[in-house]
Amino acid sequence: MKEEQIYKDRRYRIDELRAKNEKMTARERTLKTIHFEEADRIPIDNWMVPEIKKRCKEYWGLESDEELLAFLGVDIRDNYGPSYVGQEFKKFDDGTVADLWGVRRKIVTYGKGTPHEGIFKEVAWSPLEHMTTVEEINAYELWPSPDWWDYSKVKQDCAAWHPEYFVLNKGDRLDRTAQLKPMMYLRGIEQTFIDLAESPKIVECIRDHIVNYFVEYNPRVFEAGAGEIDMFMMGDDMGGQRGPLISLEMWRRYFREGFRKYCDIAHSYGLKVMYHTCGDVYLLIPDFIDNGLDCLQSLQPQATNMDIKRLKKEFGKNLSFQGGMDIQQVLPLGTPEDVKKMVRYAADNAKTGGGYIFGTSHNIQADTPMENVVALFEAYHEYGVY
Amino acid sequence: MGTLKELADYVEHGKRQEAKSLAQKLLGQNISPDQIVKEGLIAGLNALGERFERFEAFVPELMVAGRAAKEVLDVLKPKMTQGPLHKIAGTVVIGTVEGDVHDVGKNIVAMVLEGGGFQVVDLGVDVPPAKFVKEVKYHEAQILALSALYTPTRLAMKDTLQLLKDEGIRDKVKVMVGGAPIDQNFCDLIGADGYAPDAPAAMKLAERFVK
Repeated sequence: MKEEQIYKDRRYRIDELRAKNEKMTARERTLKTIHFEEADRIPIDNWMVPEIKKRCKEYWGLESDEELLAFLGVDIRDNYGPSYVGQEFKKFDDGTVADLWGVRRKIVTYGKGTPHEGIFKEVAWSPLEHMTTVEEINAYELWPSPDWWDYSKVKQDCAAWHPEYFVLNKGDRLDRTAQLKPMMYLRGIEQTFIDLAESPKIVECIRDHIVNYFVEYNPRVFEAGAGEIDMFMMGDDMGGQRGPLISLEMWRRYFREGFRKYCDIAHSYGLKVMYHTCGDVYLLIPDFIDNGLDCLQSLQPQATNMDIKRLKKEFGKNLSFQGGMDIQQVLPLGTPEDVKKMVRYAADNAKTGGGYIFGTSHNIQADTPMENVVALFEAYHEYGVY
Repeated sequence: MGTLKELADYVEHGKRQEAKSLAQKLLGQNISPDQIVKEGLIAGLNALGERFERFEAFVPELMVAGRAAKEVLDVLKPKMTQGPLHKIAGTVVIGTVEGDVHDVGKNIVAMVLEGGGFQVVDLGVDVPPAKFVKEVKYHEAQILALSALYTPTRLAMKDTLQLLKDEGIRDKVKVMVGGAPIDQNFCDLIGADGYAPDAPAAMKLAERFVK
């Protein structure tokens, strides 16, 4: 009983603000926002590593992930798409496991023995890395097929969140709709950059395999979702900390067409398109808009040129935004006051006319103090109100 | 006829075959490897660095230029009669810190530093503090370069600096830090000597450290 009271006290601030501010469902709120209308408050999206989710549940006395999201007022629910029913992913003696593309991954533990210990699945072997001709790449046996998925449950999975929540079809991180990212996994990051500089035929060949796969896969997902998906999300990291990884010319040459196709397909099913990229992509944004993007996710404030105030001013009429909360410096190293200031800054500069969803610049990482996570969500509810 | 200026141009644009054969030619004309490094490789990398600063060059261009410079260096090495390479610039021990396995940025920095005339000892990824300290001592390195991609793993940089202190060699080596979650603030916070946001900046910083 005594413990229950502690949790209740801890939850009080968020419960109180929500009761006061919320006048519509999460879905209504988010739909209004992405259509550039002001809702009752700024919608909230949530990205956390599992370790932080666990600590949040312990702190607020909640049992499940869903209880946590519901309490925090997270408006978006993720749909990971169809279920994989292809051949079982091959396991190797060295502990690596093949993924959808035949890329072998291993589990890497970081921060061993510290309070912020966690795991990541890292690429251990890239199957196309040492191939030198287009013929070899075409002959690669493990190009995936859209037939390897069972689409029959997509509709019911999405419908389960309706009418309350906003459903984002985002796929799993490792098979999310993209172009450059699977290329890097398949070919190795360094070799991909070298290819981009000097082997256009190799780049085009790998890219075509990737794009052709998603161009066939996505319509099946959207068809299966039958009106229960609210937004489509793709993700392809094009930004570094201080500028795009590649030039605008290179983006246009290799990736514009695929980007446009992905957007066009989603639009033909009546879906808006959200696109995740890390880093500074300022130079590419006008082209993203011209080629169909609706919402850019997840703004990384520590990256050069990604200040939300400027982006809203320059592109806010045509593009909505998600993100803006810094996981690199402010959340792990700042004070709760710093966190609040950051939330207020984003809200003050981005909420006018809708088109802005609160979110962190990536998953909240395991080295973030709990008091800063609390400050983040309390501030969302305090400053997000219209 | 090929000149050092042309060599710099080949390096800047990542034309490794042309750069290598021109370097051979220049050696044949009795131009010293030292001069080829300075006026060919370093000049080319610096020119690219400036374009990188102006958003006129990006990661693929850095990658092929770094590779070209490194391969030219392999041509020069047997001819270095004035003594070992590290007499030209200095020795750098580099690696990704403990718990982190990301090395793309670190590899580009290593390549550019090596192409720029530094002797580079690359310890790879997931390197414990004790290993960094041991290798800095063994190679009598002037510079230790630490990289990390995740915020939780960057804390291992601090542990490495502490161990350098405990071993009494902190003042003998300049420590530079880099990687996506690193900035000048974090560098100051842990007491490192310098922060570089990218490979060209790392090159400039390293040159400043050994001046």
